[in-house]
Amino acid sequence: MDLLIASLPLLGGGVWITLQLAVLAAIVATVLGLTIAFAQLFGGLVLRIVAEAYLYIARGVPLLVLLFAMYYALPYAGIMVEPMSGGVLVIGFYFAAFMADVFRGAMLAVAQGQWEAGRAIGLRTPTILVDIVLPQALRVAGPPYVNTLIMLVKGTSLVSVIGLSDVTFVGRQIIERTLAPFEIFGAVAAVYFVICFALSRCGAYLERRASFVH
Amino acid sequence: MQPPAASVEIEIRNLSKWYGTHQVLKALSTDVRRSEAVVLIGPSGSGKTTFLRCINLLEPFQEGEIRIGGESMGYQTDATGRRRRRSERDIARLRAKVGMVFQSFNLFPHMTALKNVALGPVRVNGMARREAEELAASLLARVGLADKLDVVPGRLSGGQQQRVAIARALAMSPKAMLFDEVTSALDPELVAEVLDVMRQLREDGMTMVIVTHEMAFARAFANRILFMADGKILEQGPPAELFGDPKTARLQAFLKRFREGHQL
Repeated sequence: MDLLIASLPLLGGGVWITLQLAVLAAIVATVLGLTIAFAQLFGGLVLRIVAEAYLYIARGVPLLVLLFAMYYALPYAGIMVEPMSGGVLVIGFYFAAFMADVFRGAMLAVAQGQWEAGRAIGLRTPTILVDIVLPQALRVAGPPYVNTLIMLVKGTSLVSVIGLSDVTFVGRQIIERTLAPFEIFGAVAAVYFVICFALSRCGAYLERRASFVH
Repeated sequence: MQPPAASVEIEIRNLSKWYGTHQVLKALSTDVRRSEAVVLIGPSGSGKTTFLRCINLLEPFQEGEIRIGGESMGYQTDATGRRRRRSERDIARLRAKVGMVFQSFNLFPHMTALKNVALGPVRVNGMARREAEELAASLLARVGLADKLDVVPGRLSGGQQQRVAIARALAMSPKAMLFDEVTSALDPELVAEVLDVMRQLREDGMTMVIVTHEMAFARAFANRILFMADGKILEQGPPAELFGDPKTARLQAFLKRFREGHQL
């Protein structure tokens, strides 16, 4: 117990890094994911091809490999990336692919008749999107969006291998000094669990609100 | 062919449409006069619904012309004689002139009845929200839903939803209304309330084009019936003439099947 209390300042610093990383990467993933979904649905041929190619790469290469590539390979090309911003970008880019699927699926889930009803009263595409399709799509997207966020939070633990002192990295350091893996890893796991549990509850709430009265 | 009279609201000339190489509409021509109620009947797959959807350009078409109130609907011929689709802005403006009511209502599920009806006037005509909601309330009262203004579609019966959809179309002050099998998705006991609203519209002088499988309604309601089969208008005329003395074998067979299945 004393050991845990003594480790708190260090662990706290790690939690702070993890939270920063998760929030910033989530913002990157959300914005980029929406952009890709729009490109796929409304873009011209070139945009659609670029978006598809991006999705296949992000889906087909492990996050860890992408992080290694950013941290170890890019410097050979003369590009130095600071670990924090590099981590945010790689995690953000990686999860943007899953976000794109969430948003695209949600928009496709809105019935075609909604578009037609909007067109029939003389509305144009941007108005139909903003007033009719997106409000419905975002309700559909809520729960899977939260799921993806949870994956992202847990995914941030991989940055510990590129030297970022997130909560996983700090935990390992403390264990090396104290040789108390059980307590420390228990605390680290609890940190992730608490964040993800809170997100899950948000997801469940969104799910209850998602269905329209039928 | 005589020049269109001033009272022609919808003018259709040689309308043809293909899906790939399959021609679904074959050079259809007809005029719908102001305040006329035209009912399209015909077997499934005859092109009735496609024809109706072409009138407000939910379906593109490759040949021919549709004019609403004298203005060409979807396409223009440019100086070099090429046929071009009009801009989305133009098409949206023209669509607002024609109300459309769908088989599956297509109400916006996240908005109350009032907001469903007020959306078009606010977003298309730039009407002030308060004014648009007053208009919407009066239209909903007109279709018998004065007490449902703040109810979302999911809490309304099918008949009530379809009446909201009619009010939504009327809110754009259309020159004509299109009805695409509007009672087909309704429980039998809810059909009458929707047909009553349509009768009331007809009395008010609305120009209407209707696709329906309700033969008794078609017969009682229409000024003119068009019988379609295989993408063509095979016969047309007043209901008494078409139902009483069908000329083509196709119409005779179609009516016979209906008489066997239904009371006519």
